[in-house]
Amino acid sequence: MSVPIGDYVTLASVMFFIGVIGVIVRRNPLIMLMSVELMFNAANLLLIAYARLWLQNVGHIFAFIVITVAAAEAAIGLAIVVTTFRPEKYVDVDDIAALHG
Amino acid sequence: MPLVLVSILLPLVAAALLLFLPRGDRALSRLLGTAVAAITFATVLAGGTADWSLHWLSRPFVSAFHFGATPISFWIALLLTLCTACAIAAARVERLRDFVALLLALEGTMLGLFLSRDLLVFALFWDLMLVPVFFALVGWGEHPATAWRYFIYNFAGGLTLLLATAAFGVIYGTTDVIGLPGVALAGGWAPWIFAGFAFAFLVKTPVWPLHTWMPPTYADLPSPMTSVVAGVQSKAGLYGFLAIATAMMPGVLYRHAAPLIVLALISLVYGALVALVQNDVKRIVAYSSLSHLGLIVLAIAIGNRLALEGALVYIIAHGLFSAVLFLVLGYVEEREETRALPRLGGLGWRNPRLSGALCIAALAALGLPGLAGFAGELLILIGVYQNGYVWPAIVALVAIVLASAYMLRLYQGIMNGPQRTDLPVRADLTWIEGLAVAPLLAALVLLGVYPKPLLDNAAITTVQSGPLP
Amino acid sequence: MTHQVLGVVGSYPLLVALWLLPLAGAVICWALGPQLRTLAGWLASGLVGASFILAVLCWHDGTQSAAGTVGANQPLFSWMTGFDFGLLLDPLSLLWTFIITGVGFLIVFYSIGYMRGDPAFARFFAYMSFFVFAMLTLVLSDNFVGLLVGWGLVGLASYFLIGFWFDRPAAVAAARKAFVINVVGDVGVMFAIFVIIANVHSSGFGDTFAAAGTLGPGVILTICIALFIGAAAKSAQVPLHTWLPDAMEGPTPVSALIHAATMVTAGVYLIARCAPLWNASHEAQLVVGTIGGLTALLGAILGTAQWDIKRILAYSTMSQIGYMIMGVGTGAYEAGIAQFFTHAFFKAQLFLGAGLVIHALSDEQDIRRMGGLWKKMPFAFWVMLTGVLSISGVPGFSGFFSKDEVIYGALQHGHPWLDGIGIVTAGITAYYMFRLLFVTFLGEYRGEAPVHVGGPGAWIMNVPVAILVVPSVAIGGALLFGGDASPWAHFFAPLFAAQAHLAAAQTPAPAISENFTSVIVVIVVAIGFIIAWQRYATAAARRDAVQRLRREAETMPAVLTNLFYFDAAIDAIFVRPAQAWGLFFGRVFDPRVIDGAVGEIVLIARGLGTLVRSFQTGLLRAYALILVFGAACFIAYYAVAGAAH
Repeated sequence: MSVPIGDYVTLASVMFFIGVIGVIVRRNPLIMLMSVELMFNAANLLLIAYARLWLQNVGHIFAFIVITVAAAEAAIGLAIVVTTFRPEKYVDVDDIAALHG
Repeated sequence: MPLVLVSILLPLVAAALLLFLPRGDRALSRLLGTAVAAITFATVLAGGTADWSLHWLSRPFVSAFHFGATPISFWIALLLTLCTACAIAAARVERLRDFVALLLALEGTMLGLFLSRDLLVFALFWDLMLVPVFFALVGWGEHPATAWRYFIYNFAGGLTLLLATAAFGVIYGTTDVIGLPGVALAGGWAPWIFAGFAFAFLVKTPVWPLHTWMPPTYADLPSPMTSVVAGVQSKAGLYGFLAIATAMMPGVLYRHAAPLIVLALISLVYGALVALVQNDVKRIVAYSSLSHLGLIVLAIAIGNRLALEGALVYIIAHGLFSAVLFLVLGYVEEREETRALPRLGGLGWRNPRLSGALCIAALAALGLPGLAGFAGELLILIGVYQNGYVWPAIVALVAIVLASAYMLRLYQGIMNGPQRTDLPVRADLTWIEGLAVAPLLAALVLLGVYPKPLLDNAAITTVQSGPLP
Repeated sequence: MTHQVLGVVGSYPLLVALWLLPLAGAVICWALGPQLRTLAGWLASGLVGASFILAVLCWHDGTQSAAGTVGANQPLFSWMTGFDFGLLLDPLSLLWTFIITGVGFLIVFYSIGYMRGDPAFARFFAYMSFFVFAMLTLVLSDNFVGLLVGWGLVGLASYFLIGFWFDRPAAVAAARKAFVINVVGDVGVMFAIFVIIANVHSSGFGDTFAAAGTLGPGVILTICIALFIGAAAKSAQVPLHTWLPDAMEGPTPVSALIHAATMVTAGVYLIARCAPLWNASHEAQLVVGTIGGLTALLGAILGTAQWDIKRILAYSTMSQIGYMIMGVGTGAYEAGIAQFFTHAFFKAQLFLGAGLVIHALSDEQDIRRMGGLWKKMPFAFWVMLTGVLSISGVPGFSGFFSKDEVIYGALQHGHPWLDGIGIVTAGITAYYMFRLLFVTFLGEYRGEAPVHVGGPGAWIMNVPVAILVVPSVAIGGALLFGGDASPWAHFFAPLFAAQAHLAAAQTPAPAISENFTSVIVVIVVAIGFIIAWQRYATAAARRDAVQRLRREAETMPAVLTNLFYFDAAIDAIFVRPAQAWGLFFGRVFDPRVIDGAVGEIVLIARGLGTLVRSFQTGLLRAYALILVFGAACFIAYYAVAGAAH
């Protein structure tokens, strides 16, 4: 009746790598944020799947923490994107290097 | 509220409150500052060695806000509060209110250091006491680089002190140990912990070759602040040696005494030789300080009972006479608008009181028998000789001869000789200026004749060490 | 070990009072000087005089003896075990106290006239009183630390008084030189104290002398040599003598009191006080006696080549102290002390007489610009004449008896060559002292300065000098005549008699009798006198004095005008190298080497920073790539490690 754990792992890996490739190849910060979101959710999926497999509630709790952190991250990330977008009406992460050493 | 806590908090709170005074009221800030410092002197005196403690940390080691004078730090705290009161009374600089606030902050943080009975709190105040001096250097000094040099050198020392303290705490389980009998650290880590402490103490004292921050700092600081920094802050390292190194790791100290003795002897002669030819009057005293404090480091490295008794006497004596020297040189600089010895001369005719004050201080510094410096020197060197260190004693005696040469050069160069026509003509010491140095001079004479209150100190621990193998 | 003190311990308020009265005078004159005006002089001399009277009243206390110890001991206070302070009045310190306060009183009184009108009148008397206090501390102390305190304080008083006119660069330099050389001496005494405390665990004279027999010969020799460095610096012994002639920059009464009568004899006191130590070390006696004899000879030779009236007297002081040191150094303590005693009178008298001349000639000190003064200043002439007769050792005068004792003492204790040096020096002394007298007082007046004699208050200066003439002529005959039966020998018998008998038993009696040496000394002195007469006092010499003196100055050997190159040598060996090293350390080593090394560390740190900084591009995707790369490395590592497992 239940989905085998291997399928969850496969799905999560695929999601995670899509996210990684998105962060590396795309230059639009909005898309990059979405890719990061994808990686979070891949991790969440694994947490929940294993929590169910081992009947441990700790996984659920971690998933909630990850969701909260993801929300906070998205809020701050979007705020940064908006402030950099405002003066230029255009945004590309390769043009933002104000924090170089 | 326990008196010891009052002693530490009163100057700090007063320093903060002083900033609410009107900026222009110089006399009021000076009066309040002097009064606060004088009251602090009284509370230290009245507080004796009573202590007060508040638990702070349980892990990774036990630590507490534990304050209280030990028989050693009691005297240094008295010296500190006396010097601060005199320095504030003598202060004449620009932006006086802020300066007095900094001096009070310096007093409070240094009292925290000297009265702390906990190593971690000691390390905390070690870094805090750098801050007022740093700001004074930034605000009143001539070169900003001096401020950074002071800060970086001493902060590097603070860092090793903190690391050593942490290691001590982890190994020993508690840092609430200063002034506690029977604390002994041994084992493989002990030499490293000792090295951490010793580096911090040697930078602060300072000892050759870690001294190059000191002459510009003493020269650049306004004289009243210099008198406290040279007179008392330089004793933080020596106090650390007495209260921490000799008390808690005597075995390590005396196994590694040889490099300390060598550095102390080099400092003794090096400082004296450089002081012999300097032209900036404040730098002369700065280098003389390098020489004189080398003597105390020598005493600590040798660790003979008499030498350590003498070290305490000399710590107090050096604090007193270097404070007076810098205060009086401040008066001279303020009057004649120069610190260059070749440009000064002949002030003695018109300024007999100024001349007298400088004379007594210079005589104490060159170890005139009957003044406090002599008692310290004599006891230290007897101790050094008793332990079989004949050549170090002879080298120190050579430095004493050199001291008489450079101190007289300083005194005569300023006060004697024909009257100069190219110097501004100013009045002799005022009553306030005189009263600011009088207690220090009186203490020099009293302790010179009768140093007994400082001797037979219960807190001095000694391990008799023989001659070097 | 039980604690031993010299003297009968008790309460002696008079002793404490006589010690502290001059200090009170110093403090009052110093604090209230401007208000007191000329009263300061009267106050200071009055207090020193009162001190003298108290010393006389203490005679009985000082000479009492009980339980094998002589004198009075007043404990004061203690620093800690082994550092107990007290006052000791025994025949030795009693003698010094008499001279310090008695001759001191006359000189301080004289100064009221000499310093009249000086802007710093009160300060002068503050310093003089302070000196008397310091010197009393030195001689009354019953332990080495107290002695060292007095030792340092007299050096300080001497510094203040040499540099009294501190607007004169020469006086300032002379004061500094005197002080620094005296600190060399202080340091010697300090070292002796180290050795004593390390071995005896006490700084008291009683403990030290009681232990003298148990210390090894090396230890005793070290202590004696270290003490003698102190004595040599204070008493201007070769090679530490160069400060004394320069010290003549001070006012003349200072030269009389400090640099003739009292302070410079502190070395003699120290050696006599530590007689038990010297007795235990024959080598130390040899060193000290030889240096004393050398100094006596050298001072006398240099005295012949000077033109400044005070410098001639300074070199003669050096030479006479050489005699004293030779006496006490060879073990002839009573003789050395006798020489101190008579010298205090006749040298003070000579200096004060010279002061009369200098004062009258408006501070002229060069004897080539004097001459013919005996007609204008007959009183000064007679004073100087008696002084010269006494110092030259003309039979019947005080100097004759003491000098004779020293010269014969050297022979008696087995040092015939020192005896020879003493005899030769006596002849040279007669030559240069009569040279001084003849050039100054005979012939025609050669100077330009007008001669002021008399005036109101001249008696203030004349009376003390007149009083000094009496002992300098007669006290030697009164006290010293009669050898072992003399009052002098009787007075010091409790201190030195036992040692004298011991020495007499050890050394064979000399082949020559005392009377025979006396005759030789008198003949040599007469030769010196005749040469001086021939060169300066014959009718021809008086007539051509100006040319002759100029010629003498021009043909003087360089070694004499350069004072045997002592100053140049000290300068080249110690002063210049110290300055050169100081400059090198301060100007080169500190900024270049130490700060340079610190700069290297800063450069390394900065290079590391640049390296790390290059990774911080600020490009988000670069960071992501690095992150992924790092993660890939981790995964690869665990994959490989897992496979290997």
